Amino acid sequence: MFDVIVRNGLVVDGSGAQAFKGDVAVKDGRIAAVGAVQGEARQEIDAGGRVVAPGFIDPHTHFDVQLLWDGAARPALEHGVTCIVPGNCSLSLAPLRAGDRRQVVGMFQQIEEMPPEAFTTAFDWSWEDFAGYRAAIEKALSINVAPLVGHSVIRLWVMGPASQQRAATADEIAAMQDLLRECLAAGAVGLSTSFVDTDENGRPVPSRFAQFEELDALCAVLGEFDRMLQCVPEFFATDITIARIDQLAELSLKHGITTTFSPVFDNAATPDNVPRIMARVEEQFARGAKVWPQMQTRPLDLSFSFLRPSLYFARLPRWSRILRQDLDVKLHALRDPETVAKMVADAGPDGGDKMLGRLICRGGDAAPAAMVGRTLRDIAAERGQSCAQALIDLSLENGLDVAFLDASLGHENSERIGPMLAHPLVHIGASDGGAHLASFSTYGDTGYLFSEFVRKTGAMSLEQAVAKITGETADIWGLKDRGRLKPGLAADIVVFDPDTIDREAELPAFDMPGDGMRYVRAARGVETVLVNGQIAYADGAYTAARAGVVCV
Amino acid sequence: MTPRADEPVIVSADLVAGHDGSTELLVRLRHPNGAEGPVVLDEETGLRLMKNCGAAGLGELVGQSWRRIVEGS
Repeated sequence: MFDVIVRNGLVVDGSGAQAFKGDVAVKDGRIAAVGAVQGEARQEIDAGGRVVAPGFIDPHTHFDVQLLWDGAARPALEHGVTCIVPGNCSLSLAPLRAGDRRQVVGMFQQIEEMPPEAFTTAFDWSWEDFAGYRAAIEKALSINVAPLVGHSVIRLWVMGPASQQRAATADEIAAMQDLLRECLAAGAVGLSTSFVDTDENGRPVPSRFAQFEELDALCAVLGEFDRMLQCVPEFFATDITIARIDQLAELSLKHGITTTFSPVFDNAATPDNVPRIMARVEEQFARGAKVWPQMQTRPLDLSFSFLRPSLYFARLPRWSRILRQDLDVKLHALRDPETVAKMVADAGPDGGDKMLGRLICRGGDAAPAAMVGRTLRDIAAERGQSCAQALIDLSLENGLDVAFLDASLGHENSERIGPMLAHPLVHIGASDGGAHLASFSTYGDTGYLFSEFVRKTGAMSLEQAVAKITGETADIWGLKDRGRLKPGLAADIVVFDPDTIDREAELPAFDMPGDGMRYVRAARGVETVLVNGQIAYADGAYTAARAGVVCV
Repeated sequence: MTPRADEPVIVSADLVAGHDGSTELLVRLRHPNGAEGPVVLDEETGLRLMKNCGAAGLGELVGQSWRRIVEGS
């Protein structure tokens, strides 16, 4: 007697092999059989017309804090994600002394944009070491977690305030090595570091003060444990990124470790960025190094409001000059009909229709609910105004606190992105799940992979796309128990409709501690998700299953 | 600030989408040896550059010294 049999599905096993019609049986949390399964189960799931695939793995998230009150990392799980990697970009919640919490909270808030209540009321901060953090999240996990330990917090533990001031001494480096060993032994899947991130005061995070010798010594420890290094290089400059690829390659070859870096973007303004990066990656892989570029599937959206300074209007000097003034001066100018008439004229003979009409009014701020999700063109037409005039008036009517979204302004050319994502040396990831909460949604990249690059552009087959975010990801991260539908492996399974799987529209949600806001996207086409053999999500609802584990 | 002949100069500026949802500034620098390369500035740095140059529009950044980028950082 099996526990569960998923019957009559199109089995896409995560290896990249051709899909076939069959069943998947589960017993004791593991896949027991794949194919034409005889016998009975306590529960059967009819997957007719649906794909049955391994649960998706999201290798770049910042769910470290959310996991303490939400063991499903919502809405990641409902998108079919059964394993997440938090602790990226040099930041994790352990090891961390009680006296250093405030400092690290500031760094987390800079990245995650999480409300302060998330750190003060949502959980009991009972741990200092990595084993303690693991125990804290393991109490109620619905999703699997492969946590990284952050270089910045290791540095902070060993060096205190000097971690953001200077290079480490030999003794301090040795102490960091010991601490990293302790974290890896306690279940960390690897180490994350960053050459880019800042704290809430704009100061470089501690990892950015490390000399190469320090990173080299820490990678030696990763080599002892055969674990991963994640890195944020200076992605804003191609030449520096390439120099970092070379450094990562040296570390990979010297210590026998796998490394990954992100983000990697394709933009019209820098069309040679990805080709040059990939050329270097190919050279380094040919030498035997493992330097995996992580690329996200979703395009980049911009948002702005008149309340805060933004470069968005730097192409319109008059707008730029007015909107960067102090609030009082800005309001005075925006209320002056003569000034506004000139601004509207600057936006073009069509009143800004071409330039601004596509903007979408966002929620989560002072925007009237009736406006949220609508284009400025639509709102302007309703008001009988030009787009530029409507933008100014709508902002004025709501204390300037109305945010607008300009969608798909970077990493948006699917005809270019598709082949890049399909490249055998590109690791699909970099979702940033759980980060940038108040800026945009970081959920649903997996659904977008299928809707945009399998169904719409055909850049990848269904089997390739599934393999990219399951079997290949598990291989890169050394998650030997995950990523494939194969007897003996953990039963992480997603059942989805290949014709509809997608991400829904971005919406504000007020589900963070203290009624804090974040942008989310619900899933479309994902019907059932099993984590370690238990149904964690089905028919549009989360279940009471808590079968997630910390997995390495 | 008039750029010296032996230092990089901004030769173009454009807006690009930042990975954190903000608008970023891509400036292309021409180095004294003739080589050109892009650098993407985050929104805060880009706004500071425009302020440092007294610029309201992107075109006013052209011809400025690279040192304007790091002033006040």
